[in-house]
Amino acid sequence: MEEPRIGVYVCWCGTNISKMVDVEAVTNEVKALPNVTIAKNYKYMCSDPGQDLIIKDIKLHNLNRVVVAACSPRIHELTFRTACEKAGINPYLFEMANVREQDSWVHTDRTEATNKAIDLVVAAIRRVRYHEPLQKRFVNVNPATLIIGGGISGLTAALEIANAGKQVYLVEKSDQLGGQVKKFDLTFPHLSSAQQMIRPIVQRVDNHPNISVFLETEIREVTGYIGNFKTAISVNGGDPVELEFGNIIAAVGLKPFNPEVISEYNYKEFPDVITSFEFEEKLLAGRILTVYGKEPRNVAIIHCVGSRNKKYHEYCSRVCCMAALKYVHQVRAALPSANIFEIYADMRAYGKGHEEFYALTTHRQIMFLMYDQQKKLPVINQADRSDNCNMIIEMDELLSGQSIEVPVDMVILMVNMEAQENVKQVVRAIGVSLCGNQFFIEKHPKLDPVATTTGGVYIIGTCQGPKDIPDSVAQARAAAARILGAIAQGSVPIEVTTASVNELLCCGCQTCIGVCPYKAISYDENNKVSIVNEILCKGCGTCGSACPAGAIISKHFTDLQILSEIEGVMSMS
Amino acid sequence: MSSEQTNLKPKLKLAVYWGSACGGCCVSVLDTHEKLLDIVAAADPVFWPIALDIKYKDVEAMPDQSIDLTLFNGAVRNSENQHIAQLLRKKTKILVAYGSCAYMGGIPGLANFSGKSEVFERAYVETESTKNPERIFPVTEYPVEEGTLKLPKFFNDVLPLNKVVDVDYYIPGCPPQSERLIEVFTAIVSGAQLPPKGSVVGANDKTNCDECKRTKSENKTIDRFYRPWEIQDDKETCFLEQGVICMGPATRGGCGVRCVEGNSPCRGCYGPPPGATDPGAKMMSAIGTMINADNPEEIDKIIESIVDPAGLFYRFSLPGSILGRKVQ
Repeated sequence: MEEPRIGVYVCWCGTNISKMVDVEAVTNEVKALPNVTIAKNYKYMCSDPGQDLIIKDIKLHNLNRVVVAACSPRIHELTFRTACEKAGINPYLFEMANVREQDSWVHTDRTEATNKAIDLVVAAIRRVRYHEPLQKRFVNVNPATLIIGGGISGLTAALEIANAGKQVYLVEKSDQLGGQVKKFDLTFPHLSSAQQMIRPIVQRVDNHPNISVFLETEIREVTGYIGNFKTAISVNGGDPVELEFGNIIAAVGLKPFNPEVISEYNYKEFPDVITSFEFEEKLLAGRILTVYGKEPRNVAIIHCVGSRNKKYHEYCSRVCCMAALKYVHQVRAALPSANIFEIYADMRAYGKGHEEFYALTTHRQIMFLMYDQQKKLPVINQADRSDNCNMIIEMDELLSGQSIEVPVDMVILMVNMEAQENVKQVVRAIGVSLCGNQFFIEKHPKLDPVATTTGGVYIIGTCQGPKDIPDSVAQARAAAARILGAIAQGSVPIEVTTASVNELLCCGCQTCIGVCPYKAISYDENNKVSIVNEILCKGCGTCGSACPAGAIISKHFTDLQILSEIEGVMSMS
Repeated sequence: MSSEQTNLKPKLKLAVYWGSACGGCCVSVLDTHEKLLDIVAAADPVFWPIALDIKYKDVEAMPDQSIDLTLFNGAVRNSENQHIAQLLRKKTKILVAYGSCAYMGGIPGLANFSGKSEVFERAYVETESTKNPERIFPVTEYPVEEGTLKLPKFFNDVLPLNKVVDVDYYIPGCPPQSERLIEVFTAIVSGAQLPPKGSVVGANDKTNCDECKRTKSENKTIDRFYRPWEIQDDKETCFLEQGVICMGPATRGGCGVRCVEGNSPCRGCYGPPPGATDPGAKMMSAIGTMINADNPEEIDKIIESIVDPAGLFYRFSLPGSILGRKVQ
């Protein structure tokens, strides 16, 4: 290894860093450290003059390593790597110390914040000494796309991509397209027809020359990597058809929660306790009738069924409050004299037009009753003959503080949206992860919500988390734009910081193979060693830490680099 | 006769010393059987407490660098071990940390999971065969009529040899296999090109699975851990795949996989492979990936079936690992 000649640059970030960190002191402290050729500080390292400072120094002082102490590498690592590249050194011979988000912004003691900045910069200096140059790599992109799920998200993405002239394979496990939206009568908050919206979309997909639809089909295994995936599907048990595609969109949606497990609601005991989805069937049929064929005189709508309750699902399903208000309008229109009770735990009306919709609903002569989800759920009981109603709901009404009885003839349970049964099979096949709620995990919750950590695999609609139609459609179009972008480029960059096996050390124990979430490792029977496919590898490092023989090197995160960094953090104090 | 003698290659001077050790390493030198005669033919033992009556003062009188090769076995536990380590370093050209204890602390190194006071409490008060109500503990100096009696100072920490003196080579093993000793010794005697200073010699770079004859697959999912006596070993399948913790994948080969050949899991005495600085951490991360559960309660339950994990994963390596000791 050539002797490291490190340039260290401490950024003021205006006053963001400099008001809490003595940047001059940091610079002076690290100046004399071994291998530090030059150390400077500057107002805005990310500005053009800041970058020029680095570029000039690299050339003038023959630097071969660069450390910038500034903001989060998520923001400007690429900026400085590019500057290094411009000056002729490999971008991976750069290391960033985060002295803003992890230091100046979160501390109130200037001396301690300055000491911490010194520790972080020393750690970066120690680490960068062992950085090695890495080369960028690209793979070609097959222009076809596989979409799993024929609901509103999958359909929208399919049309978007197909309309751009690219092939789409749309796989749906049920026998028809349209997903959950096809089960709805009206949508909120405009009370426009779901059917008039979804039917033409299904028709356009069915007739599109660039879209091949496979109904009653499930994806069991996908092989390959970004740009070059493969799967074999079997339609109606026939011969398997092999499909090749460059990108994948998972749009497998969610399914309604089954309220049978909530004993308070006696869902299976009482036939007129129905789910919101069963109520939609009645609306689509055009009649709101009890099982006795009568119009209900009293209708209760219970919110948060299976939602926001640790016994069932802790999360909020986001759409049920507005759907419940939608039912108020529909019941009121159909049954002008019925008593309507909205039994809610919290009213959530955060979307565009939703608060207005809520306000409008309060004028429809209904009664809002609040219950405490954490303390006691309402209980649905059979009514006595003398009660003049089918059922009685007993509840502790929170706002009045009274225990009350509500007469009802029909109860609509606003059921939670939860993961599909086959969700684990899907995530395994396409190499994505599930969160604790069994929602697909996006690459970044804010900045990259439709991509995943697996290149070429996107997640849209409710499988990523409960959401309404506009959000689902927005995600579908976002993913389509990402994929069309990759197709337009023709090739995509792939991960550089991959893992590789040192065959001289690998003992063939195969511990690494099972732990790889990207199916990138295989066992070479001839040489009795593991092999990493560096196109599939995302550099997550799992195999590197699992390898008991120390034979797997995670590039850019070697033990030597990380341990040197830790030693650096510990060395000054 | 005299001319013949001058033509003879000068014999090497050999020292073998035990620090905090069980004696097994010294026995492993004797275990070379008839090859011991070759060793003695090529080298004069000048200091070897288990075999020769040579005093410390005799060693102190030797000129510096006059011993060609010292095999120092045992860890450094007290001031006597430390003193002799420093003395032998001064007197020796090639100092070898011989065996697991000198290399990484070995079994005595497990004492670093406690400290001096806990060790003394156990040894001089609590042991079942001890009756010591006055709580008398060893002291370094004790005045008697005839003068002052002295004992070495017991350190709080067990140290591997390289934390005390500069070490040229390491031969791992508990004890090292005698065949490996002969190979290394022959190389030194023959004047062959020696590996870079600091190398581990007499062992492989690859870990034990490489030579292990048991069948291995990627199917390493463990529902609970078993101690070897709790299962009927099928004698064919990788121990880990049967739920028995085997240190083989994290342990240098070189021993000939003798434990596993004898149907007992590898205990890790040959230490970590090159580049793996902390064998316990390496093995624990590997084991972590094998646990077949996805909720914290189940995972805890499976982990609880590992008896004495720290002692298991760091059995031979605690003082020489990054961990070093239990935080006090």
